[in-house]
Amino acid sequence: MTKSINLTLKVWRQPGSQSSGRLETYEARDISTDMSFLEMLDVINEQLTLEGAEPIAFDHDCREGICGTCGAVVNGRPHGPEKGTTLCQLHMRHFSDGDTIVIEPWRARAFAVIKDLAVDSSALDRLIQAGGYISASTGGAPDGNAILVPQETAELAMDAAACIGCGACVAACPNASAMLFVGAKVSHLALLPQGKPEAARRVAQMVREMDRLGFGNCTNERECEAECPKEINITNIARLNREFLKARFFSSEK
Amino acid sequence: MQLDGKVPGGSVTQKWDRHRFELKLVNPANKRKFDVIVVGTGLAGGTASASLAELGYNVKTFCIQDSPRRAHSIAAQGGINAAKNYTNEGDSIWRLFYDTVKGGDFRAREANVYRLAQISNNIIDQCVALGVPFARDYGGLLANRSFGGSQVSRTFYARGQTGQQLLLGAYSAMMRQVAAGKVQIFPRREMLELVVVNGQARGIVVRNLVTGELERHLAHAVVLCTGGYGNVYFLSTNAMASNVSATFKCYRRGAFFANPCFTQIHPTCVPVHGTYQSKLTLMSESLRNDGRVWVPGSAGDNRPPGQISEAERDYYLEKKYPSFGNLVPRDVASRNAKEQCDQGKGVGDTGLAVYLDFADAIKRDGRDLITRKYGNLFQMYEKITGEDPYETPMMIYPAVHYTMGGLWVDYNLMSTIDGLFVLGEANFSDHGANRLGASALMQGLADGFFVIPYTIGGYIAGSQFAEITTDHPAFKDAAAETGERIQKLLSVGGRRTVDDFHRQLGLIMWDHCGMARNNDSLGKARSMIQELREEFWENVLVPGQERDFNQSLERAGRVADYMEFAELMIVDALDRQESCGGHFNEAYQTGENEAKRDDEHFSHVSAWEYTGVGIEPNFHREPLVFENVELATRSYK
Amino acid sequence: MNWIVQTFASSVGKKTMMAVTGLGFCLFLAAHLAGNLSLYVGRQTFNAYAEHLHSLEPLVKVMEAGLLFFAAVHVITGLVLFYQNFTARPSRYAVTRSAGGRSVGSRTMPYTGILLLGFVVYHLLNFHFVDKTGTTIYDIVAAAFTDPVTVGLYVCAMIVAAFHVSHGFWSAFQTLGANHPKYMPLIQGAGLVFSLLVGLGFGLLPVYLLAVS
Repeated sequence: MTKSINLTLKVWRQPGSQSSGRLETYEARDISTDMSFLEMLDVINEQLTLEGAEPIAFDHDCREGICGTCGAVVNGRPHGPEKGTTLCQLHMRHFSDGDTIVIEPWRARAFAVIKDLAVDSSALDRLIQAGGYISASTGGAPDGNAILVPQETAELAMDAAACIGCGACVAACPNASAMLFVGAKVSHLALLPQGKPEAARRVAQMVREMDRLGFGNCTNERECEAECPKEINITNIARLNREFLKARFFSSEK
Repeated sequence: MQLDGKVPGGSVTQKWDRHRFELKLVNPANKRKFDVIVVGTGLAGGTASASLAELGYNVKTFCIQDSPRRAHSIAAQGGINAAKNYTNEGDSIWRLFYDTVKGGDFRAREANVYRLAQISNNIIDQCVALGVPFARDYGGLLANRSFGGSQVSRTFYARGQTGQQLLLGAYSAMMRQVAAGKVQIFPRREMLELVVVNGQARGIVVRNLVTGELERHLAHAVVLCTGGYGNVYFLSTNAMASNVSATFKCYRRGAFFANPCFTQIHPTCVPVHGTYQSKLTLMSESLRNDGRVWVPGSAGDNRPPGQISEAERDYYLEKKYPSFGNLVPRDVASRNAKEQCDQGKGVGDTGLAVYLDFADAIKRDGRDLITRKYGNLFQMYEKITGEDPYETPMMIYPAVHYTMGGLWVDYNLMSTIDGLFVLGEANFSDHGANRLGASALMQGLADGFFVIPYTIGGYIAGSQFAEITTDHPAFKDAAAETGERIQKLLSVGGRRTVDDFHRQLGLIMWDHCGMARNNDSLGKARSMIQELREEFWENVLVPGQERDFNQSLERAGRVADYMEFAELMIVDALDRQESCGGHFNEAYQTGENEAKRDDEHFSHVSAWEYTGVGIEPNFHREPLVFENVELATRSYK
Repeated sequence: MNWIVQTFASSVGKKTMMAVTGLGFCLFLAAHLAGNLSLYVGRQTFNAYAEHLHSLEPLVKVMEAGLLFFAAVHVITGLVLFYQNFTARPSRYAVTRSAGGRSVGSRTMPYTGILLLGFVVYHLLNFHFVDKTGTTIYDIVAAAFTDPVTVGLYVCAMIVAAFHVSHGFWSAFQTLGANHPKYMPLIQGAGLVFSLLVGLGFGLLPVYLLAVS
């Protein structure tokens, strides 16, 4: 049932990447429980604008949980308390009247805050540039059915490929590690026959880049898996480890 | 003026082969001397960047999002069509071509559509090679499913995330070229101006959305892949950042805008539920494969669905269209939903919804199979509405989804400005007045992978380029104009927010230029838009600074463009005195309330030339000739 | 950089070293525990076990050297990881809440590790580097565990060890890539059982000796 609730928000405000920030308190009145979390922020921003204040900056785009643009840490939980849900798909019906909600940006050395809740997560793009692709130039591909891919393999690859690159795994990891992100991409491509020729080079380069970008190390805390809005499994991290050791010790890849 | 689409001669089946042979080539060693700007990184932009870089061009790619992987192609759910005929149902390139022309209500250019159907098969092959994990049968062969507007299963899919997987494939191909140094990527940039020098598109002015600085970029050709303008309605299934500004700025610089009134209202979206709502969410059309659409048989029946017996339900699509049933094309399905709701048979709190029921499918195939097919869609629905579609039927209602109109392009995908190419949803070319499901992905990829690499070569090889830098007066002027416009927006200092204006504009468009239109109401809308535009420039409140990360300012610029563009849509809708596909003028309908075309007077593309704000644009027509598909009234009965 | 150095300097390489050395310690703990169980039987059996060990002197020396090397690798790599992970998030969250992934063991890994390092040094000073002339190892052990403080210390250390192992065991398999939907639950179960065995097996010994003294 739709109802209205009142909330106290504590939102991280930071004017720029070089400035320091702090939590500011806002009262959110008459918030419909049918609103999404971002729509609630829209309402606050409309108020702030009319009051002559600067609205809260936050990244968002598709608002249907697939583009991976949005995300903030809500009461200590990336994308909020609901399992398998991005911030834009989190609805206010999961909060109660009188709740205090602390909203912070992703925090990691590899993700600089741009403004307020918006962060620069282009490090994830650089990880893909390091090898998260199959080198298949346009034009030379054989028929789609020329190489059989067992259904189970295709499904496993799809499980990993479902990653939306939102960065919640990094935000959730006590060590700010990007292993789930890298593991998902390495798994997706290593599982498919099309990705196998480059598997060794890919994993070696992606791990090297991950370390270079200043992400932390995985200590198997499993917070990433628990927070991933697409519920990507840490078996993908194990596969990454396996692929890495295989590449390092059993391939000629330097 | 009559526009020439530069369609090559010969039979439709040979036009593309012949054209590719006739196009001039750029010597492989010379390609590295040419720079190409690609704006947008969806399926069209991503693959264009990758394929042009693979050929050796220096590509500069711009996107509005923080990463090229965010482009809204990612949200396409259902699938991508190809004429592979893997299912042995008798599909062929010709049938895909035929279905697409017919689905578009005979308002698309035949030669383009045929080329699209031809290329469709290569797209699947290329995407498989890039590691797109399409659904497979147990034996490892690619699986297919059926989609609206077609009687064969030709849709390839990756769960309910086909767009995502294809986009990530395109993105990865582009990232490979970034690593190779052939693509330079500029994220968080918004294109605010096209720079034309000696009649050639030579560059763009972009705003760095982080610092607020205006940047000038020079190239030998500009490839625009900036998607559609559905957000003119405020509420649509488009992403929040989707906008018309890039194409509109090109229109202002002289590119013609074609068929702007052709908008697609998608039949299966989560209904609107509050005034604070920021966007609408699509439920893939693939759901109509197994879901049955119904409303209560009598108006005003507001019992819960479970209490309405089979006999009291009206499965109106199955009844009215026995051969296509729930799988009629989108425009037909949407219009019928509206018709039912107009009759008072709509369901839910607002009465603006119909049921999409999976009870029979679950009974027939078991919950497991349904979960495998649509699990993530069901989950998404439950997250938004708090209702479980396994237990109670989904409620759906049409919402703005795709825009068939766009910048006019010739067979080479070049606009009326030399060197300005337009790909994907941003152009008008392939879908006529209505796009069939699973065809947008096909078009974006076709344009980017397999059309632009050849046609851009033909242009570059056949052109002379002046030696200029970004200090050229054309660049300076464009940047200065952009800066002034930004200052103007910031200095209004009014009392209404940008979103407030946008919502009002959207409502005007939805009410008067939505699923059904009529001349009176379109006329009214036009003056309402003019008034609103005036108020906007006097009363808009844009907080913050120019040289800063300022999301309100970004939106203000886009809404300012919508204020002008909306009027162009009305002009086009008023001009097209017929009904076809997504453009339904109530004055032109058959006895059974189907769209009634007027092929004698309107078998053409309407292309509009900018003349000034609030001034009647110039009309140009490109006649559409159907040599291969017989013009007929669409029937899905 | 040489590929070997590169491999072990990488994050996954460092984790591999932690996993291999950690599993080595698990093996050692199992053997150590098996031997120590003879304490429950009595003085003679335990001393006989010690005698037997000494008769394998060269092998024991090799094993000791190996353990020392493993310890060095485990401790140094662990500290490096701890430092790197700490600096990977320069500004901390105002609110942190677990989504249910972490366990007490995983959360406290670096701290239990440091405590264990201290304990091992203390333990070696207590029982390894002591003058064993004119006495037997059983007497040294029995004498040490007449002091309730020492007993308390050992019991605490064993609880700490149990937590460390509870995360370390399955984590090592995960790090080495051995995660299979069929076997991972078994590995995790085995890890839990093993950590309990370590905790109880080692932890009850001092209590038993205190009780019988």
